[in-house]
Amino acid sequence: MTKEEIILKLTTIVKPYVQNEEGFLKMSEETDFINDLEINSANLVDIILDVEDEFKIEIDNDSMEKMLSVKATVAVIQEKMNV
Amino acid sequence: MYNIGNDIVDLNVAKTQSNWQRKGFLEKQFTMYEQNEILNADNPFLKVWLFWSMKEAAYKCYMQQHKKRFFAPKKFLCKIVSTTKGNVILEDEIFYINYIISDTYIYAVATKKNDVKMVSNSFFVEKNTALTKIINTKLLSYFSEDIQLKKNRLGIPYLFKKDKKLPISISKTHHGNYGAFAFSL
Repeated sequence: MTKEEIILKLTTIVKPYVQNEEGFLKMSEETDFINDLEINSANLVDIILDVEDEFKIEIDNDSMEKMLSVKATVAVIQEKMNV
Repeated sequence: MYNIGNDIVDLNVAKTQSNWQRKGFLEKQFTMYEQNEILNADNPFLKVWLFWSMKEAAYKCYMQQHKKRFFAPKKFLCKIVSTTKGNVILEDEIFYINYIISDTYIYAVATKKNDVKMVSNSFFVEKNTALTKIINTKLLSYFSEDIQLKKNRLGIPYLFKKDKKLPISISKTHHGNYGAFAFSL
């Protein structure tokens, strides 16, 4: 799966949790879930569970720790899918 | 200056925004001890959000000091001490928590020292109003008119007088119909 395909799927996953629509329209690799999309931190767990389901991967605590941005999340997904 | 962190949970919003009974939800963010406390509580839903707000308040307090962002709720170990107090332990650091559970919201404030002198205020805000603006106005009403509120790139708020940063630790939070701020004296 290419980076672009991953970001596309990720966009669908985060959409229901987004509080800042303007930030969502501009969503890119540089987007930060909390600062740019104003996602409630309690919903970060939902995003992580959704990512596990969608990409059929398991995200350990160390990887989860980094998943505050699109870039970091894509890197975790790529790493787990290539194992 | 004592660092401070706070977090508010609107319980009506929490009911619809998150499903704590979702598979994996508890396991990803709560320790075995906390999961047991939640599952054996009279009201597991309230326990979930009390622990969550304690962890979040402690994280904000930690972040102010260490200027580091991460998402590791399971590393913050919660313990309830009384009906208004608790502790959160992160590695070798302890955070002292004061909390309120009302019928409609949960509010937690974390500090690094017990009984830090502070101003802490939580309030209801009507739907469809500019919540952030209201919180900022209420917070700034405690200070003189030339004091400004700014955020750094980590999202940590600071008070400025002209271009000088004031040595006051502040924390802001909002969720649903509730907003709150706290600052140490």
